[in-house]
Amino acid sequence: MTHGYPTGTGAHPEPTPSVDVPRQRTAHPAPTAPKPGRDRYLDLLRSIALVRVVVYHLFGWAWLSVLFPSMGVMFALAGSLMARSLSRPALSVIKSRVRRLLPPLWAFSAVVLPLLFVGGWNPVKDPDNGGTWGLVELIDYIVPIGAPPYPWHAGTLSGLVDDSWADQAAGPLWYLRAYLWFVVASPLLLWAFRRVPWATLLAPLGLTAIVGTGLVTIPGETGNAVTDFGVYGSCWVLGFAHQEGVLAKVPRYAAVSCATLVMAFGLWWASGHLGEDGWDLNDIPLAQATWSLGFVVILLQYSPSWRELPGPLRRWDKVITLSNNRAVTIYLWHNLLIMATVPLIDLGYRLPFMQSERASSALDSTYTMWMFFLVWPLIALAIAAFGWIEDLAARRPPRLWPNGTKRNRAGDGSGAHAPRG
Amino acid sequence: MASRPRRPRAAAPPRDGLARRRLPMRLLLPMLVLVALVAMLMLRGYVHSEILADHRIQPEAATDKVPEKILEGGPVIDTRSGRATSLRVPDHRLVLTFDDGPDPTWTPKVLDVLAKHHAHAVFFVTGTMASRYPELVDRMVREGHEVGLHTFNHPDLSYQSDKRIDWELSTNQLAITGAAGIRTSLFRPPYSSFADAMDDKSWPVTEYIGSRGYITVVNDTDSEDWKKPGVEEIIRRATPHDGKGAIVLMHDSGGDRRQTVQALDRFLPGLQSEGYKFENLTEALGAPSALTPVTGPELWQGKAWIFLVRVSDDITGVLVVGLAVIGALVIGRFALMLLLSGIHARRVRRRGFGWGPAVTEPVSVLVPAYNEAKCIENTVRSLTASEHPVEVIVIDDGSTDGTARIVESLGLPGVRVIRQRNAGKPAALNRGLANASHDLIVMMDGDTVFEPATVRELVQPFGDPRVGAVAGNAKVGNRDSLIGAWQHIEYVMGFNLDRRMYDVLRCMPTIPGAVGAFRRSALERVGGMSDDTLAEDTDITMALHRDGWRVVYAENARAWTEAPESVQQLWSQRYRWSYGTMQAIWKHRRALVERGPSGRFGRVGLPLVSLFMVVAPLLAPLIDVFLLYGVVFGPTQKTVVAWLGVLGIQAFCAAYAFRLDRERMSHLISLPLQQLLYRQLMYVVLLQSWITAVTGGRLRWQKLRRTGAVAAPGGPGQRRRTHHAGDRRPVA
Repeated sequence: MTHGYPTGTGAHPEPTPSVDVPRQRTAHPAPTAPKPGRDRYLDLLRSIALVRVVVYHLFGWAWLSVLFPSMGVMFALAGSLMARSLSRPALSVIKSRVRRLLPPLWAFSAVVLPLLFVGGWNPVKDPDNGGTWGLVELIDYIVPIGAPPYPWHAGTLSGLVDDSWADQAAGPLWYLRAYLWFVVASPLLLWAFRRVPWATLLAPLGLTAIVGTGLVTIPGETGNAVTDFGVYGSCWVLGFAHQEGVLAKVPRYAAVSCATLVMAFGLWWASGHLGEDGWDLNDIPLAQATWSLGFVVILLQYSPSWRELPGPLRRWDKVITLSNNRAVTIYLWHNLLIMATVPLIDLGYRLPFMQSERASSALDSTYTMWMFFLVWPLIALAIAAFGWIEDLAARRPPRLWPNGTKRNRAGDGSGAHAPRG
Repeated sequence: MASRPRRPRAAAPPRDGLARRRLPMRLLLPMLVLVALVAMLMLRGYVHSEILADHRIQPEAATDKVPEKILEGGPVIDTRSGRATSLRVPDHRLVLTFDDGPDPTWTPKVLDVLAKHHAHAVFFVTGTMASRYPELVDRMVREGHEVGLHTFNHPDLSYQSDKRIDWELSTNQLAITGAAGIRTSLFRPPYSSFADAMDDKSWPVTEYIGSRGYITVVNDTDSEDWKKPGVEEIIRRATPHDGKGAIVLMHDSGGDRRQTVQALDRFLPGLQSEGYKFENLTEALGAPSALTPVTGPELWQGKAWIFLVRVSDDITGVLVVGLAVIGALVIGRFALMLLLSGIHARRVRRRGFGWGPAVTEPVSVLVPAYNEAKCIENTVRSLTASEHPVEVIVIDDGSTDGTARIVESLGLPGVRVIRQRNAGKPAALNRGLANASHDLIVMMDGDTVFEPATVRELVQPFGDPRVGAVAGNAKVGNRDSLIGAWQHIEYVMGFNLDRRMYDVLRCMPTIPGAVGAFRRSALERVGGMSDDTLAEDTDITMALHRDGWRVVYAENARAWTEAPESVQQLWSQRYRWSYGTMQAIWKHRRALVERGPSGRFGRVGLPLVSLFMVVAPLLAPLIDVFLLYGVVFGPTQKTVVAWLGVLGIQAFCAAYAFRLDRERMSHLISLPLQQLLYRQLMYVVLLQSWITAVTGGRLRWQKLRRTGAVAAPGGPGQRRRTHHAGDRRPVA
């Protein structure tokens, strides 16, 4: 196992939101092209996926990866949007995607790298990938052609956090690398999809069956990149199928039944290849690929194309809009923020009424729950502090709190509206 | 085991208020039954070590944390209230200990041998076995032996949390209390051996158990009888040297213990003659008994536990029998259907087959319609394209959407419209019958579309004068949705397997409302359509059988219909069907004891229909209960393979039905999901009908019958206008 792609730990990096969130309804309509109608169903899926990722990284419950395969959903949604954009010249589309992706990453890197260095990390002397190469790989913090490297054990930052914090914080960055490669490969993939749709859809599964099952092992970061490409490639291409209307042409009974069979295969495969976290599909590439694909087929087959959220969901409207507008920010920062809850909660032990044995053991046993409650306000702060970079990257006027309400000009937002979730 | 498709006529949603008020009660009862069933299964799973079983064994560990005096001391280890002392059995005393029992076969034999030689011993029983065979524990205590704890289901305690250890001890104690009315203070850890085998993993457990008030008893000599080394070897290993005292480890459970019993029978008199005494532990140590009588609530708790375990065992036994019955029914039904439908298909497809002289006389087609504005034009136009001469009579049953006007404005020749005040489908059909000019009557629904050949094919069987009615072949038009594909499979199987079988057995229960033909004389003899039941088509078909008419199936008379698209619509449609079928069976129950054709139908048809359509679905949930239990608690693989086997049989039958109907096989891909989602819906609906019938009492039966009957005529038209459900149709 090399850097950048840890597996098997409770809160390891996982997928994430599309970097590709298109413009929201906003007071400042996009300068180019008429505002495309938002499909609120897809927005809802993206929000659920985000919340699921945060909850999973917080509690580490393996079954969440089965309950809702967030990363598959995110890649499928991103693939769908990519296919829509590719009606324009491919090069400019890729450039615009990359341009939107990088600045938020730079902001993140600008905070994390100094912390790593303060924590005593010297990339030249890293046991996993030292030397000049280690230095070269730092480029991944600027353009993630690979997952950025980080030390397994970083300094504890004056004992405030566990020494695995770097793993926790930078681990999720592999998603950016996967996304970047999907974006670059998309013109070719779409070309292939239009000629041989089925073969293009299923080819990544085949790739996963070869490189994700130990049949062929590609070492290092290249291997991770190829495996991720295979595992989520089918979902990405499925996004094409959804966007191009191909999926809608398959009779629903056939799509759902075949998807169920593919998912059943995934579960069966998982049952025979359980990782150290049991049923955590993130550790079982072929199961993850098939389960995610089948799951997303069903989600997109029933895609109802809401212009507006239906009745009971409407009360979540602002949260969904906000999380879609700030998906990259939330994804990039959430794990670091989960880490940041620890020193905050530890302050609780110093409170005067917390000195009894019983009080502190009560805090011990409810610790994760406090982390869960605390991480959302922190995410809200991160949105306020760094979210506007997403707007700049998309060449939009920066907004502080883009939750879709009319008064969302700068100055309106405050950390008070933590996303519920 | 879903109910078979008959009338592809859809759902008038049951009267809203009525449904809503009663739904919770109807759901509550099956839910309670289900929860009780699952609880009983789980309890049985616990005491049969299928749930929570943990077969890991700790490898040997270092011993530096175990006190030296314990390692070198005797096998009776007392760690209560912080002590760490051990005791040995005095010379010339032997304490036989038997682990893992009681076993229903071998424990009585061991007890017999002990009694024969007036020996006492100690039995370390597990909670699971003690719960299942409490009378043996009782006998041990009555015959002067001591009983000790050996945990509930025999895990290696060094792997378990303190909580689990507490649970293991208390549940084991509970079982012993329930069985023999005593508590014991003796404990032997699973996988234990000699005192010097204590290590850093097992010693903390021993200390903890001492803190709970128990004395840990290991052993001096191990007979290793579980390896079945032969009687001689068992005796050799068990015997201590030089007249020393010893605690001897033996087993009365866990396999064939013949050698143990034989060894005892020689070992006991042999050593007794050397001056050994065989006593239980406290007798040998000269201490007060380890057993104390229990009274009061604790005793009753124990007794309740034993009772529940017994009940759960019995219920599981009944369930297993039920599963076997339903399995046999399913397989038997499939075999019968394959055989008879093959015979039927071969018979009617034989070259030169005919029912009699070709039927060319004109036919009256009755189309009862209630708010069918959307579909009625297609329906009527498909009829006028008929290859057979037809007179079309549309009976508008008080529609409010201008159905009648649409038909009239078409101005088609040979199409008449009759209007009536809303009076229900049976009344509409009777009115149409009175106005029909011809002697052959075809009945269809207002949302069904015929092929040009349908009417001709449908009436050909009337060439045989004994035939009184003919069922056509209804097909699902909207089969590309998931729920549509499931119903498509159900219809194709229902029409090509069930109906052919019933045709050969001469007891077809239903002519589908969507496509059926009747001889006017036959209808008149039984008094026309009746609104006694929610399923007037089943009712009339049974009445015709009892009147001696033959009812046959015409495979080429295809009618295309639209199946319900939502679960709710499907639910109310099937609810009316299954409840109506039960009403019809009840209405015609006297056929069972009558003479002639009525008696024949009553003694062959009614039981068959009741078995397949009413009784079998009652047992069908067992398949899912056992499937779920098997998948979760094991043996997972066997369960899944068995389920796939049954699925394979289903798929084979379905494929055969599709081939008979020359349908494309592609829809069969949704069969596995159908078995996992749709089948359950069907039997839950039937269970609901049962509950309505059983708990509803006569009054409710009446009420429901009336409301249902008036809601009936609409057909699918009504389902598309559920907001009309509040428009009460006047009762005829």
